[in-house]
Amino acid sequence: MIPFRSLLTACLLAAVSPLLADDAASPARSMLRVNITSQPYNFGLPWQKQNPGTRRGLGALLPGNRVLITAEMAQDASYVELEAAASGRKLTGKIEAVDYELNLATVIPAADTGDFFAGMIPLAVDSALKPKATLDVWQFEANGAPVVSPIELNRVDLAPYFLDDQFFLIFQATGGVQYRAGTFTLPVVHDGKLAGMLLRYNSRDQVADILPPGMISRFLDDVAVPPYEGTPNFGAKLTGTLDPQLRSYLKLKDVEGGMLVTGITPGFSADKAGIKDGDVILAINGNNIDSRGYYNDPDFGLLAAGHLLRGGAKVGESVQLKVARDGTTLNIPCTLLRRNPEDYLVDPYMFDRGPRFLILGGLLFQELTQNYLQLAGREWRDRAPFRLVYALGNQDDFLKQGRRKLVFLSGVLPAPGLIGYERLRNLIVTSVNNKPINDVKDLAEALKSPTDGIHKIEFSDFPKVIYVDAAQAELDNKEFVPARYRIRELQRLD
Amino acid sequence: MKPSLRFLRAATAALLPASLATAQLAPPPQAPAADGEKTTSLGRQYEGIVNIECNTLEVDYRTPWNPATPGGGSGTGFLIAENLFMTNAHVVSDASRLIIRKVGDPTPYRARVKHIAHDCDLALLELVKPAAAFSTVEPLKIAEEVPKLDTTVKVVGFPIGGERISVTRGVVSRVDYQEYSHSGADQHLAIQIDAAINPGNSGGPVLQDNMVVGVAFQGYSGDVAQNTGYMIPTPVMRRFLKDVEDGKYDRFVDLSISHFPLMNPAQRKALGLPEDGDLGVMVASVDSEGSAGGALKTGDVILEIDGHAVESNGSIDIDGEQTELAEVVERKFAGDKLSLKIIRDRKPESVEITLKGASHYLMQANRYEQQPQYVMFAGLVFQPMDKPLMTVAAPGSLRSRYWFQYFTTDELYREKPQPVVLTNVLPDEINTWLREFSGQIVEEINGVKITRLKDVSDALQKEDGSSFHLIKLAGEGRPLVIDRKQAADAQPRLLQKYGLGASAYIE
Repeated sequence: MIPFRSLLTACLLAAVSPLLADDAASPARSMLRVNITSQPYNFGLPWQKQNPGTRRGLGALLPGNRVLITAEMAQDASYVELEAAASGRKLTGKIEAVDYELNLATVIPAADTGDFFAGMIPLAVDSALKPKATLDVWQFEANGAPVVSPIELNRVDLAPYFLDDQFFLIFQATGGVQYRAGTFTLPVVHDGKLAGMLLRYNSRDQVADILPPGMISRFLDDVAVPPYEGTPNFGAKLTGTLDPQLRSYLKLKDVEGGMLVTGITPGFSADKAGIKDGDVILAINGNNIDSRGYYNDPDFGLLAAGHLLRGGAKVGESVQLKVARDGTTLNIPCTLLRRNPEDYLVDPYMFDRGPRFLILGGLLFQELTQNYLQLAGREWRDRAPFRLVYALGNQDDFLKQGRRKLVFLSGVLPAPGLIGYERLRNLIVTSVNNKPINDVKDLAEALKSPTDGIHKIEFSDFPKVIYVDAAQAELDNKEFVPARYRIRELQRLD
Repeated sequence: MKPSLRFLRAATAALLPASLATAQLAPPPQAPAADGEKTTSLGRQYEGIVNIECNTLEVDYRTPWNPATPGGGSGTGFLIAENLFMTNAHVVSDASRLIIRKVGDPTPYRARVKHIAHDCDLALLELVKPAAAFSTVEPLKIAEEVPKLDTTVKVVGFPIGGERISVTRGVVSRVDYQEYSHSGADQHLAIQIDAAINPGNSGGPVLQDNMVVGVAFQGYSGDVAQNTGYMIPTPVMRRFLKDVEDGKYDRFVDLSISHFPLMNPAQRKALGLPEDGDLGVMVASVDSEGSAGGALKTGDVILEIDGHAVESNGSIDIDGEQTELAEVVERKFAGDKLSLKIIRDRKPESVEITLKGASHYLMQANRYEQQPQYVMFAGLVFQPMDKPLMTVAAPGSLRSRYWFQYFTTDELYREKPQPVVLTNVLPDEINTWLREFSGQIVEEINGVKITRLKDVSDALQKEDGSSFHLIKLAGEGRPLVIDRKQAADAQPRLLQKYGLGASAYIE
């Protein structure tokens, strides 16, 4: 597609930056406003969605009329709009791809674009960017005029992008950035190429965390070749070996560093490769790991070794691990696999869909989600029902028992067939009609076989067991629940 | 959230000055008789009601090796027999010294605890030297029955707001089961009254027709609920007195089950009951080591308890009063039999249960009169998990919270009768890398499973030929490794540096 250059844009740019060639990338020609209306599901009342709210952010225009934004902006999107900053022209878009772990998403036009992209210049990604450089943070004023703030890139680390406990490579930069017009997710540019997305900015210390271009490239490459793979998980906990008494016990030589492996998740990368609890990983792909758990990266210097197993690795890739076990050194190849959110007992995050649930004559069963527990507020780890919080923190114990998901009775919609059960809530379901329940589908299946017209539902806690009249529950599902609670969707199994 | 009940013991600053003892009462003025009571001299009438001053020693579970902190408070008590005073357990718990004062008599009489029942918050005191001043005092009489709703009662005692004896009046507002907050883990019958009860009233008698119908013991603070005070009713008092007749207190017995009302027709039908009947409750959980362990199981229906028909909400009728089925058990003693009519697997059966006290739940109850136990090794402080520890220590790990909350429900005591927590790491060069591990439950030391505190000291003394001590914490893959030689050298240094008299205190 040949970009159409409007005279007006060219003049405007000339005034801002006379040295800029008229086919060079610039905020006005390479950045769009993105307005996203997001509407998360209600995890307490899973048949409905919450109040919609609109976020306004900035996206970087990439080749092929793709606009790059953060996943944080894209979450639970029900309506997406691209907006040309100067003209205010709008175009309906849609989310093409999203990775909540890498915190990246692409927006593409939902329909015919007309001349919306005429004169725009897509950005290339500067994936070779080294940590010492001056970058420009791009923004728009409310009136559409560009604002460019230079920052100095000076540090590399691993930090969470958007979700807690998900550590990936970040670039840290210092410099003054003034937030304009309540936008977030700001493209960062170096030499006319996309050099990252600004994730966070601490205005007191003037420190910006930037999602680096290398990670953007890996995301875009992954999107370009379906199916989307995402990032792998090592599937074990790694801790440093600085403690000399621990080192001596593990028979480690003083010159070696190494990370101790503990808590291996059954069935994932480390487990399948034959890594054992108590192994010490001395090197990954020839990169020696020190006793703090860092290696010397050729591009970025000292970096946490987790990068080699997650953000810096591909799904299906085999890494060579040098492992100390019981005084000997082994070389173990390890194929890095992905653990999807669905592979956890409790999905670590859930966007764009609601929890699976089933209503039986007013009894509301759900699969446990972290979002449900978070309804208890900021202190949810202390306030949410303890049994469920404990299950979340000890998922592997439940997975070992053969559970896939944790089905629980989250509450009761009082209905004619449920007299005496009104106060039951937050009870983990163990079996229904004597069949073990490992997800909501199991529940739906088990409910097909009541005994003498009565369902038997067993819980791990008080009152341990209740019985429900099957015909009454069916009748209440048909009439009472839809009429009195205005619920049309009585289950979501997929 | 449930508002917490407060005690009604008046707290005072540490070590009350002795001069307070002489500031005492002139006989209160005579008041006109009310409610048909016989006119007696108020001085005589209240002679048996005494002020109890208690100096206490409060232990700190964060520094279990430290001697306790002196503190104190005051409450009320009353003479029930010759040289025998009844009061609340919480008035005299952890006492280092007890003083009894009589209305109109400045003499401080030293007293001591004869029996104390932490599970029902009652205690019996006696004077160290029986005093002539009490020889003419008429003991108060305990009424036979529970007072009726809406009848008038008087609360007499020494609450805050003045030095002299105080009388307040109200009606019986409610008779119900309540948690007794002194233990924090026991429920018994309690009577709610609307007479003003304030700190210092604790242990004082509640009177009706000059008979004691209860002991004032707890209430809500004014910002939670208005005019709600609670008294311990006579069935609980009588049971306590009967229990100690053999010279020692054996605690309440318990069925150790939970039961669920049978209101739902499908539930009733499935369990083999008439759908429209109104009798029977379902057994939900049974503590397998409790009285009913092996005798009852989940899904049993209790129809009758000692001949009292059990209604579908769990209430029974005793002497014309509606009360909970637990009340039958409440009035019994260890070794007593209980007969139940039940339906099991849709068939009627009779079950006889020999009652005993529950003990595992004590881990979740407040503790008194006990020196905290610990083991300190290489700066690592190990303590048995219990209520005071969990109260003062940070919430701890998710796993230790689970162990504490579900210790009885999930019968975790089977695996570890006394879970041991690594509560603290006293910094020293030997444990520089171990400080992040406090708050976790200890699983194993030197190959020995840790099920009680004694195991910790035994395991650490075990020689296994290795040059390390190896400590494994629950849910933590990285073992704690301590060099044996260095640990032996560090121990005297740590004891001295942190002021521990001994490496361990184990009962």
